[in-house]
Amino acid sequence: MPMYGDLGNKLVQHAKRTQNLAHLPPYQTELVRAVTREVRDLDKDVASLLEPFQGSFDPSADQATACTLLVNHLSMRRNKRCLLAYHRTRTDKLEELVWKGSDVLDLAGQQGGGTNGASAADGGGSSSLSPQEEDYVRQYGDLLAAYKGQWTDIDLTGSLEPPRDLFIDVRVLKDAGEIQTEYGAINLTKNSQFYVRQGDVERLIAQGYLQKLG
Amino acid sequence: MSYYDIDSILTDAEKIPCTFQLDIPDLGYLDNTPTQPLKAGTKINLPLWLAEMLAIANTGDIEGKSFVTFDLPPAIGNDVVQALKADPRAVPLRDQSAHFYGLATHMMELSEEKELAAALRKTFVTRASEIALHARKVGGVGHKVKADEGSNLGVGGAGEEFLRGLDEWERKLFRKAHEGAKAGKEWMEGIKKH
Repeated sequence: MPMYGDLGNKLVQHAKRTQNLAHLPPYQTELVRAVTREVRDLDKDVASLLEPFQGSFDPSADQATACTLLVNHLSMRRNKRCLLAYHRTRTDKLEELVWKGSDVLDLAGQQGGGTNGASAADGGGSSSLSPQEEDYVRQYGDLLAAYKGQWTDIDLTGSLEPPRDLFIDVRVLKDAGEIQTEYGAINLTKNSQFYVRQGDVERLIAQGYLQKLG
Repeated sequence: MSYYDIDSILTDAEKIPCTFQLDIPDLGYLDNTPTQPLKAGTKINLPLWLAEMLAIANTGDIEGKSFVTFDLPPAIGNDVVQALKADPRAVPLRDQSAHFYGLATHMMELSEEKELAAALRKTFVTRASEIALHARKVGGVGHKVKADEGSNLGVGGAGEEFLRGLDEWERKLFRKAHEGAKAGKEWMEGIKKH
């Protein structure tokens, strides 16, 4: 028989798996909803248990009720911790992805499109992120951009490995439009190859538009 | 341990045997009988997050009785501890509990078990050096030989069996040691190239 807190535990097991993955698995909308529903039910139980006492409940006079209340309270607290930890694990991952410069929102759309392409039309089902998470990524990205903007000479999200060569060969994996470099504009169309300055295209490589050759 | 720590939350879901000390009409569902009251003396396995507070909380009467009393879970029961005393490396801790040490630490906080604490301390130290040994062996050749890491590197069947029996904390230790050895090797190679 399922017990209070069992669903919350499932959510945390999802979080545990997420920690070891490179990508972000789909948001567990149903499970999150079920756990919050459980909290609301417990809260209702507490309210109806306390109702006859008119705000003057004495735990030592009615120990059985006191114990029931404690169990309810602990179950709610447990669910809260599971919910918070699940979401925190995901936002940690999202922040990591934003710092890496991968296009999280674009990526999320593609993943969803591949696995359940048919349901893409009904909005929520198309992404592995929840709408709130998409918003979080967008705003966190803005925040990071504003922070980076303070230093024009240093790319804070650039690679930490010193480059061996100043110039590299790259192949274009998907159309990325025109970019400006010190040596003029380059039009990055799919399947073309270029010899470019590494610093100019590092972000595009991280985002998966270009592939480094050699 | 952090509030958000996933392993700490999963450890709190481990169950320990509890005995209720009073009749509670509304909690029958804990014993699979939602329509019946829960009788004093009923034994139920409760998750740590519930058992801990119920055992600590005071019912409010003069004797300072608590709602439940608890026993040590079988995972750190006498049989297991005797086996650990004989040879810590021969016991697959994971079969007892995936969060063996986390569970044991929790229990030690709830009741004083000096002898048990000493046995577990010795267990961890003995197994940790064994873990370090395995982690270095695997790290030596890098991750190219994923398929038959064990046999190829002289870890052997017994070694594989030992590694399978690690609990979550030990697994973390193994991963850290392994990554450390690998990173050290990569760094050395990087130096040679430049």
